[in-house]
Amino acid sequence: MNPKSNPFSAAGSGLIRGGLSAYGEKIFGSGSEYVQSNISKCFSDPQYYFQVNDHYVRNKLKIVLLPFLNRVSEIFLVGIRKRIKVFLKTKIITEPVGGRLSYEPPINDINAPDLYIPCMSFATYLVLAGISLGLSGKFTPEALNWKFVTGMIGWFSEVMLLKVSILSLGGGEAPLLDMVAYAGYTFTGMCVAVLGKITLGYTYYLIILWTCLCMGIFFIKTMNRTLLSEVRSYDSSKHHYLLLCTALTQFPLMFCLSNTSGT
Amino acid sequence: MAREFGAPPVVFPSGGNPTVATGGNIQQRRVPTAPFQPSRPSNSGIPFMSFDIGSSATNTAGPIGGGIGPIGGAANFDEEEPLLDELGIHPDQIWKKTKSILNPFRVNPTFHKDSDLSGPIFLYLSFCLFQLLAGKIQFGVILGWIVVSSIFLYIVFNMLAGRNGNLDLHTCTSVIGYCLLPVVILSAVSLFVPQNGAIRFGVAGVFVIWATRACTNLMVAVADGGEEHRGLIAYACFLIYTLFSLLVIF
Repeated sequence: MNPKSNPFSAAGSGLIRGGLSAYGEKIFGSGSEYVQSNISKCFSDPQYYFQVNDHYVRNKLKIVLLPFLNRVSEIFLVGIRKRIKVFLKTKIITEPVGGRLSYEPPINDINAPDLYIPCMSFATYLVLAGISLGLSGKFTPEALNWKFVTGMIGWFSEVMLLKVSILSLGGGEAPLLDMVAYAGYTFTGMCVAVLGKITLGYTYYLIILWTCLCMGIFFIKTMNRTLLSEVRSYDSSKHHYLLLCTALTQFPLMFCLSNTSGT
Repeated sequence: MAREFGAPPVVFPSGGNPTVATGGNIQQRRVPTAPFQPSRPSNSGIPFMSFDIGSSATNTAGPIGGGIGPIGGAANFDEEEPLLDELGIHPDQIWKKTKSILNPFRVNPTFHKDSDLSGPIFLYLSFCLFQLLAGKIQFGVILGWIVVSSIFLYIVFNMLAGRNGNLDLHTCTSVIGYCLLPVVILSAVSLFVPQNGAIRFGVAGVFVIWATRACTNLMVAVADGGEEHRGLIAYACFLIYTLFSLLVIF
């Protein structure tokens, strides 16, 4: 097998070359092939999620943080059911390429999920939480490590929530890393919230409500995109209300994680 | 006054007995010589390896003794390599690499192509020393954060670079370690900057930006595949060095 043709080779060959002797490489090689074939069954090629560039990152951040900029403002004047239907009509269709991954990579399609922004926003959230802890005099490295652990637990529970809600609608084919990406986008909202807390003090509560609303809207739109392409027969109203519930759970999650005046 | 003991006195094979005549006076007891001195040949090509207690000359040294081997007892002492070379530490190379980072405007990547970890270890120890002078004992924390951040940057760089990325973990850790030099200087400078003040953040910002520039330029020059993702890698490096500067500021 061509050693460069599988997605883990770049990340894995460095470790193998650097540390292990030839004998260890023989053992490790056969083990890593087994692990790779199993991992690619449930993880679907992480390389795809990192094909980003500057332009994509900037525009995607605009979509995530201000998701209603390029929509008509009259959607806020109608009732809930009509509002969701307007959202449903305005999704952008991606072209099926064929094979297991039917979406274009993020570099070509602004709606595709990527893993660079969630990872970076998680790290930015940690740095900003460290600054906010330090400004209130409570900075210790152990507190920052605890924030890291709490953030990972929150991310993981959000992924589980998404997975359960998609499974309950009957479409089990959505790739796991997609859901990891969508769950990680909430960290961008949280970064803005913590930044607001550092700079502006009491307007922090307003900013948190605003970003929760934005993330909820973003969630509805993206979930709609993944769901409609996978699930063909569903109960329309049940679908809408489940989407709303998923969006509403953003609120307590963000409140918990961005509350840096706690532990 | 002589006392009568029930047991016969212990006689050591060599060295002195505590003399009975002084009646067991503790102060006069000589320091007993070791009872199991082996006979050491003066000009030794033979390794020193007897560990038998009690028996004198014949060593029944098993494979354990043989395995220890000539500890510095090699016959050609003058032809051994110098210690630093044998350990792989080249001080002149470390100094050249460190000096190349001192210029904040243009980093010369030629020396960094072959990576080594002894320079970063030296910089890590001096960072910990300056933190210790500031009253914070953070040896384990800094080491853990260096390891985690180098794994993070390794994963991000290789994922971004795709098929033609060839950064390996050793080079990644080496580059991150050398670019800690501005943070070390920051921790030395911050010993003299007043504790609660905006100037602390300003000074830290300057050094963090210096470290980020150096790290990004080195990363892009040392490994393939990073040129078109310069800004994305720069942001990752910026986050790493901001994290270290938080340890210094607060």
